[in-house]
Amino acid sequence: MGAYFIRRFLLIIPTFIGVTMIAFFITRMVPGGPLDRAIMQFRMGAAMEGGADIAGAGGGQIPEAALQELKRAFDLDKPWYAAYALWLGKLARLDLGNSYQYREPVAGLVADRLPVSMYFGLLGFTLAYLICIPLGIVKALKHGSRFDFVSSAIVFVGYSIPGWAMGALLLVLFAGGQFYAWFPLGGFRSSAYDDLPAMVRQWEDIDQVSDEFGTFQWDQMSLRSRVIDQVHHTVLPVFCYMLGSFASLTVLMKNSLMENLGKDFVRTAFAKGLSPRRVVYLHTLRNSLIPIATGLGHALGVLMAGSYLIEYVFNIDGIGYLGYTAIVGRDYTVVMGILSINILLLLVGNIFSDMLYAMIDPRIRFE
Amino acid sequence: MQTKDPDQKAGGASTEGKKSLSLFQLRLRRFRRLKRGYYSFLLLLGLYILSFFLPFLMNNRALVVRYNGTYYFPALASYLHETFGYYERLGFFKDTVLSPQTFGIDSVLARTDYRKLQTDFAARGGDDFVLMPPIPYHPNEQFLDLGENPPNAPSRLHLMGTDDRGRDVFVRLAYGFRISMTFALIVTVISYLIGTLVGACLGYFGGWLDLIGLRLVEIWGAIPFLYTVIILCSLLEPSFLLLTLILSAFGWLGICYYIRGEFYREKSRDYVGAAIATGERDTTIIARYILPNALTPIIAFAPFAIVANILALVGLDFLGFGLPAPTPSWGELIGQGKANIREWHLVVFPLLVMFFTLQLVVFIGEAVREAFDPKVFSRLR
Repeated sequence: MGAYFIRRFLLIIPTFIGVTMIAFFITRMVPGGPLDRAIMQFRMGAAMEGGADIAGAGGGQIPEAALQELKRAFDLDKPWYAAYALWLGKLARLDLGNSYQYREPVAGLVADRLPVSMYFGLLGFTLAYLICIPLGIVKALKHGSRFDFVSSAIVFVGYSIPGWAMGALLLVLFAGGQFYAWFPLGGFRSSAYDDLPAMVRQWEDIDQVSDEFGTFQWDQMSLRSRVIDQVHHTVLPVFCYMLGSFASLTVLMKNSLMENLGKDFVRTAFAKGLSPRRVVYLHTLRNSLIPIATGLGHALGVLMAGSYLIEYVFNIDGIGYLGYTAIVGRDYTVVMGILSINILLLLVGNIFSDMLYAMIDPRIRFE
Repeated sequence: MQTKDPDQKAGGASTEGKKSLSLFQLRLRRFRRLKRGYYSFLLLLGLYILSFFLPFLMNNRALVVRYNGTYYFPALASYLHETFGYYERLGFFKDTVLSPQTFGIDSVLARTDYRKLQTDFAARGGDDFVLMPPIPYHPNEQFLDLGENPPNAPSRLHLMGTDDRGRDVFVRLAYGFRISMTFALIVTVISYLIGTLVGACLGYFGGWLDLIGLRLVEIWGAIPFLYTVIILCSLLEPSFLLLTLILSAFGWLGICYYIRGEFYREKSRDYVGAAIATGERDTTIIARYILPNALTPIIAFAPFAIVANILALVGLDFLGFGLPAPTPSWGELIGQGKANIREWHLVVFPLLVMFFTLQLVVFIGEAVREAFDPKVFSRLR
């Protein structure tokens, strides 16, 4: 089986190259790329400075030399496959290039936002498992009861309303729409003193938490204030993150347990005279957790990538939001950077998931 | 399927088709017995059929106009304002200097405002009348005379309020229902066709074709969907057709993986070996022998694919990369609600309608799954 997984890992390479090559090719074919943007900026700059005479002399054409210079800067003077090879070579040296929009290394941009996305992702993920597994167990044991019926209704809500749409509703209801203003409109943390919850503002003096230029410094607040502010910004987005996996996870747990409860080994265990508690939690549950546990591998990608829709709704400056703005703004180095990280995580996650499967269930053999 | 059916009469090869039909009938009977799913299905089907008559239910063009003894059917044809005598009644003659604007009409040659015509006829009395649809608004019609700037909160005239361009939210949601359902149905059918075809070939022929094909499928699946949609929508004019094609192009992967697995497994069964031994052609084995066995679970999954496709469309519309601008859309309304956070009706009503619709589909899905695969959970305690 070791050989099988080594082969799977080796197969990542062609897939990775295939995906990034197609994505790279698309970026080169689409108008509105970085070169077009630079030319537009130049024209606007020329119109602002030179005014009438340049505009009169033919609409602010970029000098040929400057155009070549720009093309070289974006590797547009080479054919796409050569530029792709160059990009791949840089990637092998862990160099993702510079963002056009931010004029910063892409790796730094991603590293800055990774903790934000991971914070929400990990929290939502953990909470979902902590709630869904017990809920699924209870629903399976009390199948057909009133509790099962009522909780099913809640599960259905989770299935029919995606997390981001629920986010929009929660913002209207609880974030200062017409109803309650319990939570902030979004963001990872408060970025200004006035954004802080009223309770925290009572504790913190504005001069104490600002630097000499009067800029708000989140880190200078007391631990108590920081925790409250953080929780204040966390509740709504994390609820939305949870909602995404809530329905499928609960139903999976319930069905898996119910299926196993009908099997012969359970009958045997009961026949031996074991207590129902022992039969359910020691014998049946362990087998029923197998399909749940294998989902952990796939979660790797979700954790790191964040959800662009939820981050968009709550204005959270995470990886998903960075990727979304990069696509919209044609910031191709950022797009390619995030894309390669995501693909790697996805592919490794798939293999990881199969490994878990083989590890937990000794009957499974991959050849 | 070798199960004996009591309705089944003894017969040879000629009852081959009948046999599979009776299995289907068995499932259909089981489906009908699951009341929640069955009634959801009837309700959704009814609503969907009804939605094709929306131009007669929600429109600003009258169903019937009787004017000077003649009947007109404006819902089916277009009439100009002057058809209904706006020249004479308003004392407007061609040789005067008065313009139509003096009388509060944009132009005598403009399209008829049937709501105005209705009040005019009613005020005048007589035999002339105008019969409007139950809700006399068009989804793209802007109501800017409601006192304040749009969006306007729900009122007696506009039960769910108006959106940020002053259009009636309820009417737009209703038209959006038809578009969302049609879109999801088409995308589901296309992606099922592609997925089944590719999956069947990969799983049946196996070998190098499978290894390379699976790699290509994996590459295709790893390309982020949103990325491609946004890029393609900037290249080509976004339209219903384009979005359908893009979503189908990405939607078939799951089906393909599943069908491939099924074919891979079924291929080693004895009945396939027997078919190969008797010299059946590959296409026959794929389509007549294995496919009926592999197809059942994915058909039961179809309602959930429809849910996923509706949600994908709503998500794209929400981000502004969906259907082109004046198209009535649920996602666009939710997006407006996110931008105007004080206008609760722009979020709550679209979500309610979406929830209601998807809930019906989910109920259908649950029932179909149970009818196709009745698992009896027998337990000791």
